[in-house]
Amino acid sequence: MMLSAFANPVFDSQRNFRELLQAMARPAAPRELPVLPPSPAPIAPAAMAILLTLCDATTSVWLQQPQPTAVDHLRFHAGLKLAERPEDADFALITDPTSMPPLDAFARGDLRYPDRSASVIVQVAGFGASHGAGKFSGPGIRDVETLAIEGLPHGFWQQRAELASQLPLGVDLYFVAAHQVVGLPRTTRWLEG
Amino acid sequence: MTYNFAFLDEDTKRMLRRALLKAVAIPGYQVPFGSREMPLPYGWGTGGIQVTAALLGPDDVLKVIDQGADDTTNAVNIRRFFARVAGVATTEHTVDATIIQTRHRIPETSLREDQVLVFQVPEPEPLRTLEPREAETRTLHALADYGLMHVKLYEDIAQYGHIATSYDYPVLVDGRYLTSPSPIPKFDNPKLHQSPALMLFGAGREKRLYAIPPYTEVESLAFDDHPFEIQRWEHQCELCGSGESYLDEVIVDDRGTRMFVCSDTDFCGQRRPEARA
Repeated sequence: MMLSAFANPVFDSQRNFRELLQAMARPAAPRELPVLPPSPAPIAPAAMAILLTLCDATTSVWLQQPQPTAVDHLRFHAGLKLAERPEDADFALITDPTSMPPLDAFARGDLRYPDRSASVIVQVAGFGASHGAGKFSGPGIRDVETLAIEGLPHGFWQQRAELASQLPLGVDLYFVAAHQVVGLPRTTRWLEG
Repeated sequence: MTYNFAFLDEDTKRMLRRALLKAVAIPGYQVPFGSREMPLPYGWGTGGIQVTAALLGPDDVLKVIDQGADDTTNAVNIRRFFARVAGVATTEHTVDATIIQTRHRIPETSLREDQVLVFQVPEPEPLRTLEPREAETRTLHALADYGLMHVKLYEDIAQYGHIATSYDYPVLVDGRYLTSPSPIPKFDNPKLHQSPALMLFGAGREKRLYAIPPYTEVESLAFDDHPFEIQRWEHQCELCGSGESYLDEVIVDDRGTRMFVCSDTDFCGQRRPEARA
C-alpha cells in the first residue's frame, strides 16, 4: 500500500520551507526540519520533506536510485517529472553518496541565468562539530562555521572547490540526516578539512 | 468567502519558494519569477506581498511599514489583507514581529536573526535608468561590468561636487552583483551590511526577486576621494528628541512652519514615554 504524504500539506510545507530558507541563508549550521512525512526506501524522510515542499509538475527531479516504489510515491504525491540524466535535473536526490556522480555532472546555470542550476539533496550519515570537521565561510556566516558532514565520498570537497572558480555558476546543496538539514549554497567557501 | 491560506495557491507558493532559495544562494542576483496578479495595483507592493505570502505561517507576527510608518494607507491595507487571508497576528512593534514587510525604509531598531525583512521593490534593476534594454543589463551583470554606474556617480561629482544620489543608492553584494537596495534612503544602506536578519526583495511588476543573506558584505559604491556618506541633520526629532534617526520634514500649518520628526513611527513612539520621564 502506498504511504501517505504530509498530513497537512499547506502548513507542513510552509514550516519546512522556513527552515530550508534559514538553512540556505545560514550555511553549514544544522537546522531541524519540523515535519517529516513517511517515505519509502531508499529516500529518507528528511529528503522526502524537501521534495514534497519544493517540487511539483513544473520541476524535474533526478533520483540516483530510482526504485519503483519511491518513483510511484513521488509521482503520485508531487506529480513531478523524473529526469533521465543528472544535467537535466532541477533537483537531484543522492541516496548513496559514496557512488554519487561528480558535482560537475549537474546543471550549474549560465552566466545570464545562474539560477537555472541544480539543487542537490544528499542523504548523509550525520553531522558533527569536532572530529574531522571542516571550516566554512561566506555569505550567511558571521565569522567561520565548523561542521563535519559524515559519509561523503573521497575528493568531494576538492570537487566542490574546483566548481567555486566558476562562480556565480554552481550547484546548491542540501545535506540531510535524521531530522536535520544543512544548506550549502555555491557561495560558501570550504576553508580546510 | 474563504481564501487559500495567505491568498496564493500552493503551486504559486512553491514556485516563489524555489525562486527565493535560489535568490539566497546567489546573493544580489535577480531571479525571474512568475509574478501573479494581486488584488492591488502594481506599485503598491505586489512583489513584497507575494514574497510575504510565500513565507507566512499561522505562528508569524507581521509588521508592515511604509516609509517607516505603520499607520499609512499602504501599510494599513497590506496588514489588514494578511490578517484577513491568513489570519496572522499583526503588530506595530519591530521587536515583536517575525516578518516585516517594508516600503522604502529599514527600521531604526536593530533586527534579530529570527526576523525576516521583505522589501517592496518598484525597479529591481539598478542599471535600468542607464541602460533600458533588459538583454543588455543581463549581459552587464553576467560580465560584472558595472562601469556605467561608476560613470554616473562620477558625473554627479563633476556636476554637483558630491554624489547626489540620496535614495536607491547602488550597492555591491558579496563583491559580485550590483544591486538596488530598493528606494530606501542611503541613510539605511549601512544596515544592509552584515545584517543579522535575512533580507528578501520582491518586484511584482518587473517579476524579479532577490536576496541579501545575513552576515553578507554589502558595499555602497563610492570613490576613494569621495567616500560613501549618509545624510545628517542639524535638527533632532521634535517628538522624541532622537539625534540619530532618519528625519522627515513636515509642514504643520498654512504659514509653512516646519518640524522634523522620526520617519520610523514605532521607534519614535517607543522613545517618547522615556523622553517625557
